[in-house]
Amino acid sequence: MTVEQDCVALDQFPVGMRVLAVDDDQTCLRILESLLHRCQYHVTTTNQAQKALELLRENKNKFDLVISDVDMPDMDGFKLLELVGLEMDLPVIRVTHGACDYLLKPVRIEELKNIWQHVVRSRFDKNRGSNNGDKKDGSGNNEGVANSDPNNGRANRKRKDQYNEDEDEERDDNDDPSSQKKPRVVWTVELHKKFVAAVNQLGFEKAMPKKILDLMNVEKLTRENVASHLQKFRLYLKRISGNQQAIMANSDLHFLQMSNGLDGFHHRPIPVGSGQNVLQNPTDLGKFHHVSSLPLNHIDGGNILQGLPMPLEFDQLQTNNNKSIIAGNSMAFPSFPTQQSSLPNNNNHLVLEGHPQASPSAFPGHQINKRLEHWSNAVSSSSSTLPPAQNSNSIIIGHQFDVSPLPHSKPDSLEWNTQNASSSYSIPFCDSTIPLTSSMNTNPRAFYRTTDLDSNANVQPGVYYDSSQMRQSGNYGPTTDAMLSSNPKEGFIVGQQKLQSGFMGAEAGSLDDIVNSTMKQEQSQGDLSEGDLGYGGFSSLRTCL
Amino acid sequence: MGKCMQGYLDEQFMELEELQDDVNPNFVEEVATLYFKDSARLINSIDQALERGSFDFNRLDNYMHQFKGSSTSIGASKVKTECTMFREYCRMGNAEGCLRTFQQVKKEHATLRKKLEHYFQLARQAGPKETARRSK
Repeated sequence: MTVEQDCVALDQFPVGMRVLAVDDDQTCLRILESLLHRCQYHVTTTNQAQKALELLRENKNKFDLVISDVDMPDMDGFKLLELVGLEMDLPVIRVTHGACDYLLKPVRIEELKNIWQHVVRSRFDKNRGSNNGDKKDGSGNNEGVANSDPNNGRANRKRKDQYNEDEDEERDDNDDPSSQKKPRVVWTVELHKKFVAAVNQLGFEKAMPKKILDLMNVEKLTRENVASHLQKFRLYLKRISGNQQAIMANSDLHFLQMSNGLDGFHHRPIPVGSGQNVLQNPTDLGKFHHVSSLPLNHIDGGNILQGLPMPLEFDQLQTNNNKSIIAGNSMAFPSFPTQQSSLPNNNNHLVLEGHPQASPSAFPGHQINKRLEHWSNAVSSSSSTLPPAQNSNSIIIGHQFDVSPLPHSKPDSLEWNTQNASSSYSIPFCDSTIPLTSSMNTNPRAFYRTTDLDSNANVQPGVYYDSSQMRQSGNYGPTTDAMLSSNPKEGFIVGQQKLQSGFMGAEAGSLDDIVNSTMKQEQSQGDLSEGDLGYGGFSSLRTCL
Repeated sequence: MGKCMQGYLDEQFMELEELQDDVNPNFVEEVATLYFKDSARLINSIDQALERGSFDFNRLDNYMHQFKGSSTSIGASKVKTECTMFREYCRMGNAEGCLRTFQQVKKEHATLRKKLEHYFQLARQAGPKETARRSK
């Protein structure tokens, strides 16, 4: 099935990634083809944009990435990108002679080696947001190769540093805000409800952080907290509304779920509309019900699930036992039993693996971050840091994070990073007040793509909300995206958390696995001794800025 | 690349040579062939446009943009430089400048072609090892 194929494809990332190269200039096309072959990608070429569209339409799953020249006579490269992005959700990388585009001619092999990241990112995005697993999410298109964007590099470096810093801090005192950091805010359901109520009262479009803050009237909540939460929320909504008819209410719940793993919303939101039944065990259901019982501001109460954009992956996770998201997760969270068996690494697309060495007290994130760093240094070297079970996919992810050229949504990263220390929550809002905002600004684009980098708001709403969501399969989706987009490190961490439950949406299958595993874990574990590190472990730590 | 090539081809050309391997033993020559085919066509189009005397600068610029693109891809540095000049004249709407520069473009292009032909001929004669050595 598609999922299988996708899994397989992802598994081989970057090797074997199927690229469609489009350029009306035969010379450039030939060179590009050769470069791509060198990277061990599977290449199809055409010198006509129209033909490219036909090829793509013929079988949407035939390609992972499209790389296209922008100055073509029969169709503008931008237009192609748009069409591809809209119809097929494939990431598209543009090549140009010009000064400010993603890949400058002459195309260099180093740049091509990084292009798979786009796919990963967009997949994440897709998984997170979409219900239907069959499409690949091309939202990340605009990200472009980082190489050519110095800003990205800077931003990334900056984030990286931030993360490192956070990581250290986190390690020391998870619970109290370190002196350098602002106190973290954990966006509990109640808090979020208040937030949403305030937003609704003010009017979504007009809601300003200051006013929201005033309306919410919560002590110790800062305007920055609200601002970043709002940003995440908006992105989340855009994301889900882009994917399905998301109902506000559902979004809330979904959002919270994603973000607040801690409160027992561990499960991933049940995919609405998907045949799959995410909640496999009664416990989960129970939890879910719990969630649904929350009075949502707007919605019809009933169904959180409905209309929630379930990340594709989630469904897939359900069906796919093999996706080894869990494998990754287990590692990260010692508390969870290793579920490696259920998840074959190779298929995971983006499973973030947990660190085997992750200690219960330390937020796995640290390791993740470290891992990310490792990855950034060398993809190949990452394997050494990654647990054996991890398949290349995970590496990719980590790698991705490192090099993610695009400053993707920070929210994700922030969450992740911050999380390191606090594990439980840290991710989503945490700390990163600073990073969040910064990332937020930069990232949106990452996942959604189409036309511009900056437009990605897609960033996963889920991401914001806390790592706890990670547990939830739903979270993974968005988070993953977010992660990827914004910050390699961040994404990684988040992913890690998520991994447990089901990592990244890159592949539907994996998500399913993750979810499954997560759920299983939940079931079996009840409360982790560490305070649910595994899934959530966050709860104990959560501290968000 | 031998001394004769110096200045005519830049490091991009070397990158292409790097791509040549057992799987693609004649990659560079293939690319060069494609380039000359493409560029000959473009040169023709520009020639015709210029002869018409209408000086549709936009169009000329477009042609040259493409031409410059492929020249860049193959590492044809001198050709590329002339292309850039041509485009500048187009932007300024300077017809005479365009005509003059275009002659230069053609000249450099022809020179490069000869040199490359010679280069490949030698490579073929020398055999693979020799080619590798020459590439350095």
